[in-house]
Amino acid sequence: MVKRRTFLDKLLGFGFVSTAVSVLYPVWRFVNPPVNAEPATDSIVAGKATEFAANSGAVVKFGSKPAILIRTPDGDFRAFTAVCTHLECTVQYKPDTSQIWCACHNGMYDLAGNVVSGPPPRPLEAFKVNLRGEPGQEDVVISRT
Amino acid sequence: MATSPRNGRLALLLLTVALLVGAATASAQPAAVTACENCHRDQRDTRLATPAHDFAGSDVHRDRGFTCVDCHGGNPNEPDKVKAKAPATGFKGKPAGQQVIAVCSRCHSDGALMRKFAPKQRIDQAAEYATSVHGQRLAKGDTNVATCISCHGAHGVRLVTDAKAPVYVLNVATTCSRCHSDGERMKSYKLPDGSPLPTDQRAKYERSVHHAAMVKRNDLSAPTCNDCHGNHGAAPPGVGAIANVCGTCHTVFATKFALSTHSQIFDRSCVECHSNHEIAQPTDALLGTDKAALCVTCHSDGDNGLKAAAAMRGEIEKLKAAIGHSQELLAAAENAGMEMGDQQLALREAGNQLTLARTEMHAFDPKPVNDVLQAGLAITAKVDADGEEALHEVSYRRTGLAVSLGAILLVVIALRLKIRSLG
Amino acid sequence: MTRHVLAWLDERLDLSGVLAFLAEKSVPRHRHSVWYYMGGITLFLVGVQVATGVLLLLYYRPSAGEAYESVQFIVSQVEFGWLIRNIHSWSANLLILMAFVHLFSTLFLRSYRKPRELTWITGVLLLFVMMGFGFSGYLLPWNELAFFATKVGTGIAGAVPVVGDFMVRFLRGGDDVTGATLTRFYGIHVAILPAIMTVLLGVHLLLIQRQGMSLPLSVEKREKAGEKIPEDPFFPNYVLHDVMWWYVALAVLAALALFLPWELGKKADAFAAVPAGIRPEWYFLAMFQLLKLIPSHVFGLEGEMLGVVGFTVAAMLLVIVPFIDRRAADGRPSPIVLGAGIAGLVFLIVFTIYGYFAA
Repeated sequence: MVKRRTFLDKLLGFGFVSTAVSVLYPVWRFVNPPVNAEPATDSIVAGKATEFAANSGAVVKFGSKPAILIRTPDGDFRAFTAVCTHLECTVQYKPDTSQIWCACHNGMYDLAGNVVSGPPPRPLEAFKVNLRGEPGQEDVVISRT
Repeated sequence: MATSPRNGRLALLLLTVALLVGAATASAQPAAVTACENCHRDQRDTRLATPAHDFAGSDVHRDRGFTCVDCHGGNPNEPDKVKAKAPATGFKGKPAGQQVIAVCSRCHSDGALMRKFAPKQRIDQAAEYATSVHGQRLAKGDTNVATCISCHGAHGVRLVTDAKAPVYVLNVATTCSRCHSDGERMKSYKLPDGSPLPTDQRAKYERSVHHAAMVKRNDLSAPTCNDCHGNHGAAPPGVGAIANVCGTCHTVFATKFALSTHSQIFDRSCVECHSNHEIAQPTDALLGTDKAALCVTCHSDGDNGLKAAAAMRGEIEKLKAAIGHSQELLAAAENAGMEMGDQQLALREAGNQLTLARTEMHAFDPKPVNDVLQAGLAITAKVDADGEEALHEVSYRRTGLAVSLGAILLVVIALRLKIRSLG
Repeated sequence: MTRHVLAWLDERLDLSGVLAFLAEKSVPRHRHSVWYYMGGITLFLVGVQVATGVLLLLYYRPSAGEAYESVQFIVSQVEFGWLIRNIHSWSANLLILMAFVHLFSTLFLRSYRKPRELTWITGVLLLFVMMGFGFSGYLLPWNELAFFATKVGTGIAGAVPVVGDFMVRFLRGGDDVTGATLTRFYGIHVAILPAIMTVLLGVHLLLIQRQGMSLPLSVEKREKAGEKIPEDPFFPNYVLHDVMWWYVALAVLAALALFLPWELGKKADAFAAVPAGIRPEWYFLAMFQLLKLIPSHVFGLEGEMLGVVGFTVAAMLLVIVPFIDRRAADGRPSPIVLGAGIAGLVFLIVFTIYGYFAA
């Protein structure tokens, strides 16, 4: 009789501890901030400034839609939505003419996002670009406003 | 300093002369009111009164210092009706037919003059007009056709950029159809093959995707009558030119079409499939082998063309289905709480490939379409793999939860036993 | 070690009385003892809600532009966020269910009789507070269903005579359900209601500790006749039993999160059409369904107003049940209260089920 109670106590103890762990472990992981610190609705970090050469462009994810980050030949950063205003294909940067180009129907935009030629009916929505962080190691931050 | 009537009249004359001189030196000052207007405005006959009213309202010529006499001749200061229109004044009366062209082009084809008012404006309208159907018929004596004033108005002329102008982009179709939709007026005209000239172009155009773009989506770059037919040199493009005309905007399609077999065969190139005025939103259903498709109009069972059509349509449908399936998978994963943003972005790229496939098919060759399809399917395959992995993660989490549930039930049983042992 | 700590505290707080009380405390054991644990389960679920709620607070953002995205973020990016959120949503429902079970068990056992009137009153008020938690919390993910359910629900408040319009504006933070409503509901959910709940719960629990468990009248009669009612020591028996029921509740929660995980839904769009068959959460469904059945005008008065006033009157009567049923103090049966209680329970069950199938 004493043996059974001790076994039961041990079982109970084990049960309590394991259920406590299965509660506390998730809670502990939960309070630790995840990799992306906040929901990426209004601003994202596109990368380090040094990763982008002059006269180049890169398409990045901004919320649920692509955005295009451009470093002009002068070294300035510009960012626009990469969704072409014609039929929503993803645009790309054309370094030889320093324009934004949509491969689907040959739409062309200038570096202010305005339509230069082709079917797009509206200019590309512009986003704000800011540099944040230590000089030489800045993050490029694209934000909606 | 008594103001005798003679002094007053002299002062008025001097003032008028000064104003005229000022107007003539093209300083873009609106012209002073002339005696012509003063008299005509009060006439009871609207044919005489309306021009004066219109000219007094909003008129680009008047705003730049031009008056009635610049087109009609006459003496602008002479209140007497007969003397104002004496032959010595150069009075022309109401120009008609070829006279209208002469009156307008006297200034508008004069480069030196136009440079003073609108340096970038063209000066070849009259020359262009001569090449148009309107101009050619007028030269043969047909005064039924449009002249400058038919579209631009005579009095109350507005700039093309003025939204109230009859030639403002949104009003062009209405202006053209004033004659071209008038059955009575057009009944004596025939097409080259002898059939009567249609008068339903406007009605058809209003059902088209170009009209919808302009009116519903406010895209003023969408074509209206003059974009395909020309302004002053208005004429139908001509069978050889249709692809070029459409291709001024639809460059990619025109290029691919020009290299295809159909460009040698179609009489009316783009129009064969897409119509000219009633251009509907194209759908995938136009391509294929079923009754709704256009290919069967010329192709019959077993010929290579129909096989190509079937192949291309099949591939487009395959990509559409793959994208649809991927979208459902991603939606299920997202609803279960998995983050699928990167995959959504990748799926957009697959959508781009679908758009490209529809462009490529204008070469009427299954191979380029197939290339695009393969690119698209590669993307959807990757997205599906990621989606399945996400759903597996959901299952894995559920399994973990099930194990915890087991542990909890174990404790419940142990507690029950413990309580029983105590009691 | 614990002995030293306790001794240190005892010197300063005089805990010995409390500890002695706890050591000697016992709970009656009889045919209806199982109902004693219902309140405990409810309390456990309140604890779960507070814990998971505080955790969610670390990441949730109460603005119309970010609420949905922050919940999506919690569920997809924060580790175990999906679990915390699922537990919080299911525990809310389970909590209200157990609160109703606890209410009806104490009602039918007539535990509200003297001297436990205040326990009953604080308890009923706590039930209303819990339903307020449920209603305010439901909007916070800012999804389509929640948005429209809130629109309909707050609109019903407008049917109250005289103060109806004010109530609607007060609840919504304006004339329509907007981001202002969300922020307001958030404040209500995490600050105002918890404060009220703390006070009510504190009083409720204190009274229970002071007065002990109530005996059902049948058992009390036996006790008065001289029979000795068996008792279990509070510690460890009753506590272990309580903990066992808590674990059962935890198991139910885990099973619900496992088999019926909560979805995110679509983000709320104020200008979208109301989805067909929109209805509130199940704990409001019976009332909602009844309101739908009342004709638009009854004897010249607005039907909806009559319904809302009717429910308000019923709620007020529920609060003062101990003062309506004076007979309970003497142990005499009260067929009216019993009948009303059964009618109420049946109405709730039938109309909740009806409400589900009606859509």
